[in-house]
Amino acid sequence: MLTATATAETDETLAMLAAGGCRTSFAGLIERHYDRIFRLAWRWAGTRDRAEDIAQDVCVKLAHAIGGYRGDAAFTTWLHRIAYTTTLDHIRSGQRMTAYEPSEIERLIDGSASRTTGDAVDGEELWQAVRALPPQQRDAVLLTYGEDMSHAQAASIMGCSEKTVSWHIHEAKKKLKIVLKGVG
Amino acid sequence: MTERDLENLKTLPVPAARADAKRAAMEAALIAFDTAHSGHAPAAGVSQDKTDAPKGNIVPLRQTETSTHKRSFRMLISSRSTQALAASVAAIVIAAPFAFQHLRTDLQGPAVTVITELRSPANAPVYGLDTARQADDGRARSNAADQTIAHEDKLAKSKEDKESFAAARKTAESVAPPPPPMVSSEPPAAAPSNKAEGDMRNVAGKVTPETQKQWHMQSRLGLGTLADATSPVTLPNALPADAMIIAPEEHRDAFAAHDINPVKQVATDPVSTFSIDVDTASYAFVRRALNSGHLPPKDAVRPEEMINYFPYAYPAPESADTPFKPTVTVMPSPWNPTNKLVHIAINGYDIKSAERPRANLVFLMDVSGSMGPQDRLPLVKNALRLLVDQLKPDDTVAIVTYASGSGIALEPTKVSDKAKILTALEQLGAGGSTAGAAGIADAYRLAEAGFDKAAVNRVILATDGDFNVGITDTGELKSFIERKRQSGIFLSILGVGQGNHNDALMQTLAQNGNGTAAYVDTLSEARKVLVEDASSTLFTIAKDVKTQVEWNPARVSEYRLIGYETRALSREDFNNDRVDAGDIGSGHTVTAIYEITPAGAPTLADDLRYGSKTAPAGASSTAAPKAVSNELGFLKLRYKRPNDDTSQLISLPVTDDLAKATMNEVPVEQRFSVAVAAFAQLLKGAPYTQGYTFDDVLALAQPARGDDPFGYRAEFLNLVRLAKSAQP
Repeated sequence: MLTATATAETDETLAMLAAGGCRTSFAGLIERHYDRIFRLAWRWAGTRDRAEDIAQDVCVKLAHAIGGYRGDAAFTTWLHRIAYTTTLDHIRSGQRMTAYEPSEIERLIDGSASRTTGDAVDGEELWQAVRALPPQQRDAVLLTYGEDMSHAQAASIMGCSEKTVSWHIHEAKKKLKIVLKGVG
Repeated sequence: MTERDLENLKTLPVPAARADAKRAAMEAALIAFDTAHSGHAPAAGVSQDKTDAPKGNIVPLRQTETSTHKRSFRMLISSRSTQALAASVAAIVIAAPFAFQHLRTDLQGPAVTVITELRSPANAPVYGLDTARQADDGRARSNAADQTIAHEDKLAKSKEDKESFAAARKTAESVAPPPPPMVSSEPPAAAPSNKAEGDMRNVAGKVTPETQKQWHMQSRLGLGTLADATSPVTLPNALPADAMIIAPEEHRDAFAAHDINPVKQVATDPVSTFSIDVDTASYAFVRRALNSGHLPPKDAVRPEEMINYFPYAYPAPESADTPFKPTVTVMPSPWNPTNKLVHIAINGYDIKSAERPRANLVFLMDVSGSMGPQDRLPLVKNALRLLVDQLKPDDTVAIVTYASGSGIALEPTKVSDKAKILTALEQLGAGGSTAGAAGIADAYRLAEAGFDKAAVNRVILATDGDFNVGITDTGELKSFIERKRQSGIFLSILGVGQGNHNDALMQTLAQNGNGTAAYVDTLSEARKVLVEDASSTLFTIAKDVKTQVEWNPARVSEYRLIGYETRALSREDFNNDRVDAGDIGSGHTVTAIYEITPAGAPTLADDLRYGSKTAPAGASSTAAPKAVSNELGFLKLRYKRPNDDTSQLISLPVTDDLAKATMNEVPVEQRFSVAVAAFAQLLKGAPYTQGYTFDDVLALAQPARGDDPFGYRAEFLNLVRLAKSAQP
């Protein structure tokens, strides 16, 4: 699917071409960035099923939004913003709809052979603790640490000021300290 | 600890996406891309002309930026208000001591030299200590804070200083927190007096677990988050209580918990009312858990759904004029020798194929990325192929897909054109969708287009549990489905896959849509649900079926209904035709079992010291005449014909004539259903089965297998054996 030229081009060039209607360039961008989108979705959602759903949704949104890309921001920043808002959308809508049960259910069921989620990962406690933070703190932490952004970048994506991000991270750390103490 | 841990968030391995999910995403994206650019210049060429802005729903960057910004901000705010509600009680109380913590640490601030280096000379804010002062120099402090941050960042950029900076920042953080966002005009809390501080701590300690419990209960009851009950509480930025409430963000199989129906005293509570339920989802889920060597979660076990999973050859009504026939059997309780079981069996009239109304079916299929595995979309597709073979040439089928958007995969097509339907099915793949309106709205629109008052009009939703069907709010979705139900279009739900399965929501939606919720894990299960049970799933013969039993206090002292916890109705709802209840399809059998303690036998509850031993004579107008002593109780059933709005009543006294002295005299059908009931109760850890064991269940079920053409009962016996060795 990828042409040799597409692989060599920068994200920005491909995005500009895609914005102009070049299907191959757009496909190239998705090919190149799908994993990144998926990883972001997973960091928030925590299960592979959901992350895949979210990633697909992000890709579709990109298809609609790419026409508006003008090259005045780095493509990854632009991508991150779409991925982030889509992920939050999913998480929010899911939270509204689901009646939860304590975590023992997942263990009972997920111990089965046909396990489809990819949750038995290193640092599971840490992920859980981070995802359990209040949404803004979780977002600030995941953007800065998970996605390796500066506070300024995170702030621009979250739509708040940089110091708000710092504040959230500070608060998050205090909470994590308490939560993770027992875990070691 | 934390800094290091947090650094890990970047490097910790993240599971890889499946290849077919990626492929699906790519396909969906390209379809969307083509749609978006279809109004645009020759799509094949690479157009560099950026002034030729694409039409349609493509938004120019500037707008995109602001709208995403606003959106994300709005989202954050509302999710925060959700959080606020989750802990609103705790928040108010806890904020105060928390402010004190700041106060204390801040007072130590100036003594540390590092701080003066990093921070501007202005003292770090002392929240809530003096609101007036804060208001006065708020602006100044805000500037100072800006400088602080700027300074910090400058430091951060200088690599040389990085280490010392990190150390310094760490110290700084432990001593003084960075300023709160100044956007918030509210100080975190008003300063409490010293005395108040101690009090507050006490209260906080008490309130937190309570709030947590409430919160859990809410979510257990299937209410989801409390978004609707918005309270005006302003949430301080600091919410230490949150840290302790582990919000389950992960989407896994979700079940609503319901307390097991308790034993009730006939003297105080003589009337039991509930709605019929013909769902079977619980059994399939239990089977899946047991087959993988695990006991199912207790909340996944619903006895009535397990009992009603099996077809029973109960006596059937003779004509469609009486849509169903109740059969009552009284038998000894197998797990409690002094108690009896009152077994109510209902058999719905089986419409012969020729009498069946035409069917107008719309399949709403989830084709999102997670539907890729074999036990999901491919399974549903195979099942639908089987179903198409069962339908009559005159029936119509339409297919709507949804994932990121929704699309119509097949316009309503007569089954006589089977090839077209099968081709459309063939082409469905996870990811094939176009962006557009909500899937569920599309599905109902198609059903309305082909609406036929004389036909069965039904939307069948196949999903792995993530209901991103366009309407995201459960309440809204429920009322949408309910409105459509009133217009004559019903909804059934097929759940597949595992991991995302949202049982509680499936139940709610199907109940609101006058439909059934079934969980399908294998093709044979799909065959059962869609083909063998097709007529009962698709053709309703009676709707809003309610059951009410009034017990005779002279004969019965205590009773309890096994299962139907989710279906309890108020006594007065029985005669209220506007209260919705369950439906019975063609050929459906429904079983309800009461365990009763005959008067005089040992009871669980002590007699009332001050209550009269017999029924309060004349006190209750509905009390049966005392003279009627051979009646244990009186059974009433209400139902409506599928297109009627007023209900009909069937009633039947539960007399001694219906009683069997021993289990062996009970017909095998009833006996088998009792075995299933016992099994379900054991799995649920029910407290009323005394020493009954899985072996007893086997002993009861084995000789009661009866005619078992599809092997369901044999499979049940296997499950009981598996349960013996299953791990909790």
